[in-house]
Amino acid sequence: MDITEQKADSATVLQFSGRLDGTNSAATDTKLADAVSRNPALVLDFAALDYISSAGLRVLLKAAKQAQTAKQKLLLAGLQPSVKQVFEISGFSTLFATFPNRDAALASLK
Amino acid sequence: MLTCAEELLLLAHDEQSGQFANLQDLLMNTALAGAVLMDLALLNRVDTDLHSLIVLDRSPTGEKVLDFALNAIGTLPAKTKTIDALDVLRRQGNELEQQVIARLIEHGILKEQEGRFLWVFETRRYPLIDGKELREVKRRIADLLLSDEIPDPRDIVIIALAQSCGLLNRVFSESELRSAQDRIDQIAKMDLIGQAMTDMMVELNAALTKLLPYG
Repeated sequence: MDITEQKADSATVLQFSGRLDGTNSAATDTKLADAVSRNPALVLDFAALDYISSAGLRVLLKAAKQAQTAKQKLLLAGLQPSVKQVFEISGFSTLFATFPNRDAALASLK
Repeated sequence: MLTCAEELLLLAHDEQSGQFANLQDLLMNTALAGAVLMDLALLNRVDTDLHSLIVLDRSPTGEKVLDFALNAIGTLPAKTKTIDALDVLRRQGNELEQQVIARLIEHGILKEQEGRFLWVFETRRYPLIDGKELREVKRRIADLLLSDEIPDPRDIVIIALAQSCGLLNRVFSESELRSAQDRIDQIAKMDLIGQAMTDMMVELNAALTKLLPYG
């Protein structure tokens, strides 16, 4: 899985592509924790994220908790139907503000 | 730090009798199976999605009960249905239970007392040594359920387990439980192994009901 970081006017965007699962969750955890600590507003762009497992959900949960504690914003954008289904069944959709795409997420921060 | 399986058994422990609630029960064995799978998931030995469980790493964890479980599910394909892994472990429920009790004794949380009932029947009790760990688990659950805080992965697991076995009434009164029910449901479903475990319990309950006369 690849994560690329891009700066936008109102936030930093992390673009995920590939699969987020137990084979890369530890590395993603480290990268995400660092990004949350450096950015008051972060958008996770999942438009190219094909798959998320329990291990991936745990990584996002920890990031959400870190952002909540630091009173920072963590938004999700562009969830594909299969990822969206996991979020809905697991109730993770209630933990995050989600947007159809990154532009909508960034606009909400202005 | 205690494992999820150890915390589950602690919650099931009855301080007055020194025994465990419903330990021989089919559902408790399923919950113990769920607990060890959740422990393995937290150690990144297994991963799950909505349908499958994938064994990522078969190397020993250093925890006897978890290595026993890892070995037991080693008979299944590396990618299998979560419910099949639960079923394999559920059938080892008594062994899991004995190993977890032994660990709680090794941790100095329980002690083992042999006795006799009516001077004839041998009995075994497991009194708590000081109850600190049980109080800590109960406090963690109560703090989380009474707040809007985002839970951490271990908290989700213990709430999913306690909810599935009806053990939350050891933390809350009936009325407190009713008012926290939405929050309990919200947190419990965040663990996909917990969801598979709950589905299995529903199926087992339905099968048992069919077997009972007038069921």
